[in-house]
Amino acid sequence: MEAEPRGPALHRGREPRPPMGEASGRADPGSAARSPWRAGLAALAGGAPEAALPLLRRAMEAGEGGGLAPLNLGLALMQLGRLDDAVPALEAAMRAMPAHAEPPFRLGTIAGLRGDPAAAEALLRAALARDPGHVPALAALAALEEEAGCIEAAGAIIDRARAIDPAEPELDVTAARLALRREDPTAAIAAAGAVLARRPAHAGAARLFARAWHRRDGAEAALEAVARRATADPLTAGWALAAAELQAMGGNPAAALAELRTAAMLAPEAAEIRAALGLALADAGRGAEAEPLLREAIAARPTDLGLRNRLATVLWARHRPCAMLAVLEEAIRAFGPQPILLMNRALALNVLGEQQAALEAAEVAAAHRGGGAEAAMTRMAVLPYHPERGHAAALLAAGREAASRLGPAAAPPARPRDPDRRLRIGLLSGGLGRHPVGWLTLAGLEALPEAGFELAAYSLKRREDEMSARFRARCALWREVGHRDDAAIAAQMAEDGIDILLDLGGYGDGGRPGLVQRRPAPVQVKWVGMQNASMGLDGLDWMLTDARETPPGFERFYAERLLRLPDGYVCYTPPPGAPPVAPLPALARGHVTFGCFNNLAKVTPRVLAAWARILAALPEARLVLLTHVLGEAAARERVQERLAAHGLPEARVTLAGGVPHGALLATYADIDIALDPFPYTGGLTVCEALWMGVPVVTLAGDSFCARHALSHLGNVGLPDWVAESEADYVALALARAHDLPGLAALRAGLRARVAASPLTDAPRFGQALAAALRHAWRDWCARPTGP
Amino acid sequence: MSATLAAPAPAWALADRLAEQVGALLRDGRAEEALPMLDRLGLLAAPHAPALRAEAMLQLRRLEEAEAAADAALSGAAPGAGLRRLRARIRLARGRHAAAAEDAASAVMAEPHDTGGRLLLAAALTEEGRHDEAIWFLGEAWRADPGNPVLQRRLGEAFLRAGRHEAAAELLAHCEALAPWTPGIAALRAQAALLAGDAVAAERMTRGAMARGVVEAALHSVLGHALVAQGRLAEAGPHFAAAGRLAPGNGYIAHLAAAADGTAQARAPEAYVATLFDGYAPHFEAALLGLGYRVPGLVRRAVERLLPAVVQGEVKLGPVLDLGCGTGLVGVALSDLLHGPLTGIDLSRRMLEQAAAKGLYTSLRQADLTAALREAGTQALITAADVFCYLGELREVLALCRERLAPEGLLLFSLERAAPGTGWRLGPEGRYAHAPDHVAACLEQAGLHLLEACEEDLRLGEHGPVPGLLVAARAAGS
Repeated sequence: MEAEPRGPALHRGREPRPPMGEASGRADPGSAARSPWRAGLAALAGGAPEAALPLLRRAMEAGEGGGLAPLNLGLALMQLGRLDDAVPALEAAMRAMPAHAEPPFRLGTIAGLRGDPAAAEALLRAALARDPGHVPALAALAALEEEAGCIEAAGAIIDRARAIDPAEPELDVTAARLALRREDPTAAIAAAGAVLARRPAHAGAARLFARAWHRRDGAEAALEAVARRATADPLTAGWALAAAELQAMGGNPAAALAELRTAAMLAPEAAEIRAALGLALADAGRGAEAEPLLREAIAARPTDLGLRNRLATVLWARHRPCAMLAVLEEAIRAFGPQPILLMNRALALNVLGEQQAALEAAEVAAAHRGGGAEAAMTRMAVLPYHPERGHAAALLAAGREAASRLGPAAAPPARPRDPDRRLRIGLLSGGLGRHPVGWLTLAGLEALPEAGFELAAYSLKRREDEMSARFRARCALWREVGHRDDAAIAAQMAEDGIDILLDLGGYGDGGRPGLVQRRPAPVQVKWVGMQNASMGLDGLDWMLTDARETPPGFERFYAERLLRLPDGYVCYTPPPGAPPVAPLPALARGHVTFGCFNNLAKVTPRVLAAWARILAALPEARLVLLTHVLGEAAARERVQERLAAHGLPEARVTLAGGVPHGALLATYADIDIALDPFPYTGGLTVCEALWMGVPVVTLAGDSFCARHALSHLGNVGLPDWVAESEADYVALALARAHDLPGLAALRAGLRARVAASPLTDAPRFGQALAAALRHAWRDWCARPTGP
Repeated sequence: MSATLAAPAPAWALADRLAEQVGALLRDGRAEEALPMLDRLGLLAAPHAPALRAEAMLQLRRLEEAEAAADAALSGAAPGAGLRRLRARIRLARGRHAAAAEDAASAVMAEPHDTGGRLLLAAALTEEGRHDEAIWFLGEAWRADPGNPVLQRRLGEAFLRAGRHEAAAELLAHCEALAPWTPGIAALRAQAALLAGDAVAAERMTRGAMARGVVEAALHSVLGHALVAQGRLAEAGPHFAAAGRLAPGNGYIAHLAAAADGTAQARAPEAYVATLFDGYAPHFEAALLGLGYRVPGLVRRAVERLLPAVVQGEVKLGPVLDLGCGTGLVGVALSDLLHGPLTGIDLSRRMLEQAAAKGLYTSLRQADLTAALREAGTQALITAADVFCYLGELREVLALCRERLAPEGLLLFSLERAAPGTGWRLGPEGRYAHAPDHVAACLEQAGLHLLEACEEDLRLGEHGPVPGLLVAARAAGS
């Protein structure tokens, strides 16, 4: 079930340092002739690098400006963030001007941005060989030394640069940062303070000032010192920035955001402050406010990979995968195929339904030396959707690969081994509210007997809705932990004395497999929440399942032991206030309307081929696809092309974007039969369709997510809606579509049938869940206590 | 490259921009994000700064600072009705109801047709117990905007608070039919049913609302009470717990949740007692008398038995300290014997108002009883009728009584009785019961001499008479 990946894990990455130095062309003074060369330089100087490009290219062709023409072309391209295009121009300049330091310096900068420090160092040293007094090259070289951990060497280079250019504040900022890394906060405070005296809105200096004070005197004293300065000097943005830094360090993002807002009001033109505000708003989940600020920041700092990647993640949350892809692809052109960009590209492609391209991107990232566990987890986030490779055995192998990158599970904590005592159950999830996890767990958890089970929520995403209020009402302990790292959350759980941890995130957005491997509870169970396959983790003991999801013999597909519930493995909470079931629309229309309201990631080429056959056999029939990403015009066009390629008639397929939940349910009034995707079948979507009186044709596979729909349909007594092959699926859909009286009768009684079925029987489910958890607990109690 | 600041804008223009931004943040309910800007507006002595700060502090529930800022804003030239309303909201939130009523009244005088002002005034008047006036203002507001469900709900609530259950039930039912999603409406309707004695209907209403997806602490709380009223204590527990989790700052619910869960503290929190009896006040006596409440009479008889000289008029009785005086029933029971000052102490202001109406007490104080005992003078008689049942641990209060008793002074108190050997326990109704042997030991430790501990039925409970003790003690050695 539950794929609805209203978001797999996104990769934010670290923000690289801003580049040193600015582009500058040197025009011959006194010359005013309107040659392409001079016009190009004028455009560049006037802040119009785009306009400068053709002019400089023409100048190059005409041999005007000598080596300076390709150099300035390279600089213009760098300003536009087109690092890949800049390289050949700069290389030409380097050849043409063998004594000029600027071309190797710029090429070194690009190599550094693209993650190749060895090449960067060689080029920077070449620049310095050409001009030993080239301050930006010295600064960039110092940055490389610093990154490599050679603080003393970096310091010596910076001292050399400062001797050459004592007025450059960036050098003072670097000196301050190095002093802090040398554990000399007093020197760092002095250096950063000196910069702030000259540049009161200097973001880097303000941050260093705050950090150095914090290091020397502690958080409270640092806040007080900054507050004192802000009171004395209320219109200086630097103090607000410093306060923001301290609040963020103290785990108080709301206060940090407040300070950043203030800084942005005090220094409205400071690009770096607006960038910081954009990032903070993005972190606070306020994408609509963050997006324009981030775009502005990227224009001001085109060589900042972190900003672009963050904008991509904001666009993801705003259901704009095509805009996201555009940002990522431009960044990949500029910075090369860096894993973080590839991972997010994989997610964007996947949600557009391009599973093969998505998996390829994820696999390139996973094969990259910098990909690490994140890349393996991204592959796990896209693989279950893949039409051929998303099967149970491959998923287990990929899960084990991710697990091996995460490292082995820690030893379980000690807890009193009383088999019958009241247990404290931890819920780890970002979906404790209006979210698939909520709809499929809430009623069951409410019915879990309080006397035997106390619930403790570890919420990874703050939610304020009526579902989250019901979770809060049931949980004795509630912790918002989304901002804390795995180690801190695990320590908190151990301190809270969690007996059984229910992981409700899997490899999805905000999932914490790394936390599971830290083993904060003696018994750890995978349940709803990107529960699409074995996670492959040795830190998980059990998977909550049922006999339809995992019949006997399926144990071989799971690293976890299977904890089978007697009916279904979830309990659906029917939405209060759902509109009544409408009459069968085909009776009035005279033709059948199929619908699929699933995430497009599930709609594979094979699904489209099956649908095309169904529509071809029923010339009057219609198909409605409704999901969030179809709200983006570019995504609609892209999907439309794919539909056409598979022979789906454009006129008979409606593409609709996401709507509020009540409206989504009401849309089922237009649907006669839901067509389920495969291999990743519908979970919550199936439950909702059934509640709205719409039966679902599905195809079962062998992975967990390939059997969600089978489980739900079986639970409501509709096993004859499950096909075993793609040909069956088509035949079944056609047979059902030809039996309108049968459809009408089924529809009229379907909600009552679901309401009376185990799928929604919370008391029954609560007892079954209690028995299953008790079984898992007793199993642990009975195990010999190891070392 | 680094951020650079253009020449600083003139401070006044900046102040205007800051104020505009703060206003926008406050309209979005984001007071926390406005704080550093508010600090700067203050430092710039911007004219809007105090009013904006007051609004922000109110949003953040930093009420003392909010009122101080509102005071500052109102000290400026020609304060408008808006500022008055703002301060009324702050004062209401702080529980300064009379002062809130003053502000709200001035706002209504200045802008008689503003619904917000009328609602504030009515809320303040309701809290003051001035129900008829509150109902009048709400009725006015409602007549001006009869389709507004919130006004209907407020009027129904006012009728409920005034003890006019039938009118309340009718209005609230109408309101729920008209706008079933009006916040709090289902809980209020159920509460009206419960107060009218129909716990089954109250249960049905709360469960119905929950099935419709309404999630509120008040619903769980009313359902818990409705279940207790039907004697289904075990079922009530999880609902008090749920209510406590949804309203973590509410001491009344927290105590009930703890009582249901068995994790009780050594005494009921002040907030619990005050809320309980504020809610009861208008109909408390009638309810108690209807329940066969006997304690004041038992106190009277104990005085007759143990202080015969007083009854015979040979000795004058006083001063008397009545702990947890409630509506003053002990004062009534002893009124003909009194010759010295009679002081009443209670946590519930509403109860004290009812006691004051009897004209028997020389002074009435709203205070916690241990605090009151620390400040009291020497007493000839201390009574505590149906009070120590809100305390688990008795040692401190008994020691304080011992300190305040005159050499021949008498202490009389009632308790709910637990089985011998069980110490004390908190029952699911939120009251404590004490074992007789435990009480005797506590008295001895406090330096008090037990005169008698009569087993008495205190009143009628859901399951028959509530077994209790009436304890009399003197200072040991006197």
